[in-house]
Amino acid sequence: MSKRPPDDGLPYRELAHTADVGVEIIAPTRAELFRRAALALADLLVEVSAVATNESRTVQINADDDVTLMHDFLSELLQLFSAEGFIWREVQVSESDHALGAIIRGEPFRLNHHELRREIKGVTYHQLSVERVNHEWRSLIIFDV
Amino acid sequence: MQLIRRSEWLWEIPQTGAMRVPGRIYANEQIIDEIRDDPCLSQVANVACLPGIVGYSLAMPDIHWGYGFPIGGVAAVDAEQGVISPGGVGYDINCGVRLARTGLEANFVQARIERLADALFQKIPAGVGSQGAIPGLSSQQLKLIVYEGAEWAVRNGYASQHDIEHTEEGGRLTGADPDRISERAYKRGAPQLGTLGSGNHFLEVSRVDQIYDAQVANALGLHQNQVTVLIHSGSRGLGHQTCDDYLKLIVKAMDRYGIKLPDRQLAAVPINSPEGQAYLGAMAAAANFAWCNRQLMMHLAEQAFMEALGVTPRELAFALIYDVCHNIAKFEQHVIDGKPVRVCVHRKGATRAYGPGNPAVPSSLRPFGQPVLIPGDMGRYSFVLVGLEAATEKTFGSSCHGAGRLMSRNAAKKDARGRDLVAELKERGVTIRAQSRSGIAEEMPAAYKDVAEVVEVMEAAGVTKRVARLRPLAVIKG
Repeated sequence: MSKRPPDDGLPYRELAHTADVGVEIIAPTRAELFRRAALALADLLVEVSAVATNESRTVQINADDDVTLMHDFLSELLQLFSAEGFIWREVQVSESDHALGAIIRGEPFRLNHHELRREIKGVTYHQLSVERVNHEWRSLIIFDV
Repeated sequence: MQLIRRSEWLWEIPQTGAMRVPGRIYANEQIIDEIRDDPCLSQVANVACLPGIVGYSLAMPDIHWGYGFPIGGVAAVDAEQGVISPGGVGYDINCGVRLARTGLEANFVQARIERLADALFQKIPAGVGSQGAIPGLSSQQLKLIVYEGAEWAVRNGYASQHDIEHTEEGGRLTGADPDRISERAYKRGAPQLGTLGSGNHFLEVSRVDQIYDAQVANALGLHQNQVTVLIHSGSRGLGHQTCDDYLKLIVKAMDRYGIKLPDRQLAAVPINSPEGQAYLGAMAAAANFAWCNRQLMMHLAEQAFMEALGVTPRELAFALIYDVCHNIAKFEQHVIDGKPVRVCVHRKGATRAYGPGNPAVPSSLRPFGQPVLIPGDMGRYSFVLVGLEAATEKTFGSSCHGAGRLMSRNAAKKDARGRDLVAELKERGVTIRAQSRSGIAEEMPAAYKDVAEVVEVMEAAGVTKRVARLRPLAVIKG
């Protein structure tokens, strides 16, 4: 994957994947990594600047390893958008070794109010990684679009 | 990755390491040069590690980097001893293409193209955030839809018997089990029946601009300058969620069966395991949803044509030519080393291509082979092909599915910066209506290979042959 410079102000950088959308997320802590991943997903789906934060949802995920935790967390959020029609702009994460809880703040998605960037079909396991490198946490995620 | 040239059109990845069979890629020299350092070749090798795989791990000339399987990948596994891999079908179960013909000529439609494009854009819901073609579907109705597929559309006045006969598998895959679809998947899919979706999905009004085989074109009801409608979409949220549900299950179950694979996205379980059977029941149900989805969009398109152009059903003469799926796993019989073998063929971005005489081909088309529909990009052209007899031995009865991407979505957006793609396409005679500007940029013509090159490879390899070429007049993007 060839890397592009980070886009200003975004919690992620988009990587060049031929058919789908790949992102790299870097954060100082594990909790922040998951938080940024959640914000990245919202930003890939919708132009988030128009999203209000007057409603909230909670998400709770348990998994044996961080890769599964990331996969299941983002899949849960994708389901929140695709089935419940909820889009978010703020995320608060609390974590332990094998669990993650998140409070997601946003509002119901409306086609005439929010700009839909794309639909995302799924969070793939292909090259999915979550790792600590020196003092940073990094994750690489490829979404099927 | 070591590549050995087997013929002008065929390249082989030798069997090494955990590979159970060699890999084979149908491509010309230029295509191979473009992908020589691409991850898609490792993906061909990874697929070759699936337990029970027979013959070769195959790739068509529209091969590009996917997730797990390469896009354009075909893998046949022994129906008794092999495994089923949800990632080998993909999130968009039964993503596919259908082509309908009209009784209208290009000049008539071209003169009214803006009005028609508006009507189609308004009539066909994009997807998320919009209401589906049939609002308020009950869960009982949804269960019937996934069980009956396009037959449900016939019973409810959205399709004709002719349509069913001209749909792969009659628009209904047997073995569909509505109880294997999760509540979540039903919820995600309910408002999306009869919607297009984003990404590379589209509805295109085209004109026949070249005929390569007059006899077959005639049998398909195609002639020069005739207007046709091409629809590319899949099983929408219902299929996406089904893939996700079963991937999770199968990733966990895989260890119990002692299956080790180089990519978790390839996760697979034996076909004859409870998890494998459950997935196959759910996959067939999602495939049926997709056929019903494309059928409903065709119905909406017919209405839009009549309203926008003021033509009667008789003048419009809207009829399905054929509907193919290009993300699916199916049980079929093929010839391997001269012997007939029952296999489960995974096609991930590949189209079934049965030759003349195959009983699965509608009787009126049987002497000519199964129609294979290959969309190109939105600026150039698409192709109608038919399967050739040798396809069963060479590619498990499979051909390419599209042009194949050349540029990443990011690179395409960068390339489009500062350009007015809508105006550029208009200059080329193509009217565009799209939900998102970035969607047009990501799908710009230059992001794709020239589909002509792809179909030429399949023809030279003796798998499919060209019947007609279609030029876009209007493209609707979700």
